Amino acid sequence: MQDDQTTPYEQRSETRKKPISMQQSDTKQTLREIGDAIVVLWWRFFDWLAVVPWKTLMIVSFLGMMLAGMMNSPEPMIMLIVASCIIKVVAGGKRSAELTASRATERAETEQLERTVLEARMEALQAQIEPHFLFNTLASIDQLIQTDPPRASKMQQSLIRYLRSAMPQMREGGRPSLGQQVSLSSAFLEIMAVRMEERLQPKVNVPEGLKSAVFPSMMLQTLVENAIKHGLEPKAEGGRLEISAEIIDGKLAVHVLDTGMGFVPKSGGGVGLANIRERLKVLYNGRAELIISVPPEGGTLATIQVPYEVIPAKP
Amino acid sequence: MNHSPAPTALIADDERLMREQITARLKEAWPELIIVGEAANGREAVAMARSQEPDIVFLDIRMPEMDGIQAAKALAGQAHVVFVTAYDQYAITAFEQGAVDYLLKPADPERVALTCQRLRERLTQKPDPMEGLLAQLSQRLGGGMELKPREYLRWVQASVGNSIRMIPTSDILFFRAEDKYTRVQTESFEALIRKPIKELVDELDPDEFWQIHRAILVRIEAVEQVSRDFRGQQIVHVKGSSETLEVSRSFSHLFKQM
Repeated sequence: MQDDQTTPYEQRSETRKKPISMQQSDTKQTLREIGDAIVVLWWRFFDWLAVVPWKTLMIVSFLGMMLAGMMNSPEPMIMLIVASCIIKVVAGGKRSAELTASRATERAETEQLERTVLEARMEALQAQIEPHFLFNTLASIDQLIQTDPPRASKMQQSLIRYLRSAMPQMREGGRPSLGQQVSLSSAFLEIMAVRMEERLQPKVNVPEGLKSAVFPSMMLQTLVENAIKHGLEPKAEGGRLEISAEIIDGKLAVHVLDTGMGFVPKSGGGVGLANIRERLKVLYNGRAELIISVPPEGGTLATIQVPYEVIPAKP
Repeated sequence: MNHSPAPTALIADDERLMREQITARLKEAWPELIIVGEAANGREAVAMARSQEPDIVFLDIRMPEMDGIQAAKALAGQAHVVFVTAYDQYAITAFEQGAVDYLLKPADPERVALTCQRLRERLTQKPDPMEGLLAQLSQRLGGGMELKPREYLRWVQASVGNSIRMIPTSDILFFRAEDKYTRVQTESFEALIRKPIKELVDELDPDEFWQIHRAILVRIEAVEQVSRDFRGQQIVHVKGSSETLEVSRSFSHLFKQM
């Protein structure tokens, strides 16, 4: 209640500073401001009353009574305390629930926003095009232009197709489909097959019907790049790389199998895999997973399982 | 140059197109240079260089089996080395400071001509042993394993059902010794491995897993709370599993109250 008393005083001292000629026209304005301030303070007091523990209210009341007793006019203070208690009992619970709810909504909204931002940032990280790949590919095209121009042209087409879907700013809006992701990785594999020749035998085995399924961007590509970089490139004789997809127990499973060097348990597993795991957590909240296993014939099998969901066809 | 035998060179790159490109450019820039061999990886390059004894070796930096930096180490002082790379920013900076030459892919004819010019001048001298440069490069590019910090186990290979899975350590709640096996527990499944706890203690990151009992290793981040039972023994509760883990007396200091 003390707050209510200080405000008008402050307002008065404000107006006192102003030139006399302006005081007249300002009076109405000042009155309205005082009114607004009282309303704001009243609600602030109300909110405080709603959430304050009873114990604190009792202590404050007791102190108020002591003060009022010293001033020999306890009646208004008793009235105020009784009114406060009634307000707290009647409206306090509702108001405090409202406040909690609005705070929770705010937090949920912030969390959702944070997740979206986090996912966008992680996706951008995952979508980085390796300069080493780009320059090596350009060097190969340069050589083919002189020795085998039709092949050079074909390789360049694959590179354009790859860049078009791999560059974040060139990616189409909306939810990415498995079909898009497979076509991106196929372009990449075509390029790598020209460069690595018999050291890379790629195979893509994704049923047409699954290509319209929703699948997060750049995850398949990360698995494919890993299979080449850590599996096949370090192996002198190279090997096979196969992309496949199937439905297992209502979930879409996308596999990348390579017959390369095999997984090294001490290699931190790469930033790429950790990034996929984090993104799956953010996007699917425990309903998706990345599984790395060792096939009986050696090499590495990486599988991403996500809930099976079809992108609605555009009208 | 007339009285000495024709200079020889070896080219090492894991991609045939790139070997062809360097060969073609060298032919234009230095017709007398004889290419005595082409290698597809570092190991081959070293073996060929030892048998053919070329004056010059062109080494791609990224190659299977043995990379260009390791191959250069093996051949240091025996041949003049020219590194070839498409993109290795750090290496390029290092080359620019040193006496060793380098070529960027795709090889630009003018740049190849300049390299050949420098090589002609250098052939009269002994090949540079490149000690400082190679030490610097292997540290930064991972050519030399000896300088790397200690690596801990980040994945555990275990049988789950009828497949062998690689389980990331960050998914594991705890390891518990059971008879001849060690049980690996995650939130969603359990698996058995043959590696005993005392080996795991050495291989896992001590900042990630704590041993709380002769038979138990727990991932610190998975610990939800530590309580005491009626006998005063500490019990660890982990997130995502109802199983409780006992802390043996010799490890009880780990959970001393702050």
